[in-house]
Amino acid sequence: MSRIALIQPKKRRFRNALPFWLILPTIIVLLIVQVYPALYTMWLSFHEREPKGWEYVGLRNFQRLFHQSLFHESIGHTIVFLVGYASLTMIAGFFIALLLNRKLRLSGLYITLLFIPWILADIIAGMVFRLLVIPDYGLLAGFLQNPTIFPPKGLSVLTAVPPHPWFGSFPFPPAPAMILLILASSWRALPFITLLLLAAMQTVPTEVIESSRIDGANGWQIVRFIMTPLMLPTMVVALFSLILTGVNSVGMIFSLTGGGPGTSTEVLSYLLYTIGWSQLRFGRAASLALIMAIVNWLLISGTLRLTRVEERSR
Amino acid sequence: MQRISHATRKKWERIAVNGVILTVLLFAMIPIATTLLISFKREQDVIRKPPVIFPCDTSEKAFDLRACRWSIEGYLRVLAPKPSSKSPLGFALTGNMLRIYLPNTLLYATVTAFIVVILAGMSGYAFSRFHFRGYKFLMTAILAITGVPLLTNLLALYQMSVTLRKAHLPFWDDRIFIIIVYIGFYLPLSVWIAKGFFDAIPRELEEAALIDGCTPLCALWRVIMPLAMPGLTSIFLLTFVNVWNEFIAAYLLIAKNEYKTAMFGLYDFLGQNIVNVQVIAAACIIIAAPVVILFLFTRRTFFRAMVEGAVKG
Repeated sequence: MSRIALIQPKKRRFRNALPFWLILPTIIVLLIVQVYPALYTMWLSFHEREPKGWEYVGLRNFQRLFHQSLFHESIGHTIVFLVGYASLTMIAGFFIALLLNRKLRLSGLYITLLFIPWILADIIAGMVFRLLVIPDYGLLAGFLQNPTIFPPKGLSVLTAVPPHPWFGSFPFPPAPAMILLILASSWRALPFITLLLLAAMQTVPTEVIESSRIDGANGWQIVRFIMTPLMLPTMVVALFSLILTGVNSVGMIFSLTGGGPGTSTEVLSYLLYTIGWSQLRFGRAASLALIMAIVNWLLISGTLRLTRVEERSR
Repeated sequence: MQRISHATRKKWERIAVNGVILTVLLFAMIPIATTLLISFKREQDVIRKPPVIFPCDTSEKAFDLRACRWSIEGYLRVLAPKPSSKSPLGFALTGNMLRIYLPNTLLYATVTAFIVVILAGMSGYAFSRFHFRGYKFLMTAILAITGVPLLTNLLALYQMSVTLRKAHLPFWDDRIFIIIVYIGFYLPLSVWIAKGFFDAIPRELEEAALIDGCTPLCALWRVIMPLAMPGLTSIFLLTFVNVWNEFIAAYLLIAKNEYKTAMFGLYDFLGQNIVNVQVIAAACIIIAAPVVILFLFTRRTFFRAMVEGAVKG
């Protein structure tokens, strides 16, 4: 009896401390790899390397960044890229999901095959698309560089200069290399978005669809007025995740275009690399990183709020 | 009569839908298929103008199956086999890709995935079963960390790696650093995924084990672990593939050539052989093949982790 009484508090203390010990290693790793670097980046954004060491420069890094013409240009590139990439992937993903939703015998096989691009590394995906259009030797180059199809001289995607912008200095219409980058990124992101939308589509109750069909709705009306509203939360989540990966992905640019030709595919994430590691201006790069982190954080908290709303409404 | 026409219409519709999907798949596969084709071509066929899709044309016919000039030249140049008396096969593969980069990638991916599974399993279990003080704060903090872009942290991590390299710590090299960095990158989302999997395991099972005289750790090990295994496997696979495919961190944080990864090797090829595209294509295939094969065999496990992770962002 007395032995049990002695053991009991000890056991309880162990039980109370158990979650703490289970989580501790995770917290330590995250403090080292995520929290400390994030704080360090903040510190870095107010400093610049001088010959004698790091020196506090206040907001000068941000000011210089905002005055850099490449920064404005790459905001334009990022917007063009994001709009093209997100809309193309969403629309294509939605239609493929619609097709796959029809309980076909081979759906599983189709999904598996469709998924292979997603499993490829972004740098490999970029390389694969680059091989298609390498000047003179790429398999599509024969078609694209044909002067009768693309007058006057044919189109060499990786070296063609961007067309003259229509609106001031905003880079629209995009350079051929940017279109290729959008295509390659969409190609890789498409499977994931398709699966996400397909999963949402399958939660739309069949009774609702059937009853609307009896009421005389055609296929387009069912998609537009029944499925889309019910799938809206998932579509928003998909869109946000697309934008998020689009803002942050950089590997594909390395292997596909290297930011070029000129600076026509230099998006913000690649600009961060250029400022940081090509120009070795870590302070200025840190201020850009901070801006990007804030954009990210806003996007994520937005997504989270929306998913929470969705959970509550269920 | 009308029923028959309805049935035939359904049949035609199904054929049409299948046809459209097959067309979509065909287009989706073009980039991969062309890379495969290029990787099996000879240099003479790769650098022809205008490019040919199949290296099967002769002087008389545009396509002759018997005259196809397939070759494994690209693969040979990546792997660089050299005769060697020591190896049992009579030759040794001396290419940097197979000798250095791929083993490194395999090492980083395996170790990272293993540790991530253990840590994510531990904290996922804790978050799923206990409501302790600071629970909400920690959960939100981990989610917020998921949102910090990799690129933002790389600046600081790069400075850290330089400092640590200069410090000449015993037993310390870039391999340990990159593995720690990868664990930190992929842990937050894995914790969330693991929590989701543990939430799906009924609490009663554990309580029954506790009543039967198991300690909490014993219940975790004997009862929960076997049930959580499929979920943890999917975390392992997801992390493995993520590390395998990661480029920019490995490119920036690893200084020594013998510690670099396969993706760096591929990027390096791009600089060297801009004309010899068959070599680049072969390198792409060699690096991508392991994960694609792994995915084809374990796709269900993959989809489980993805759906779980996608809902959380």
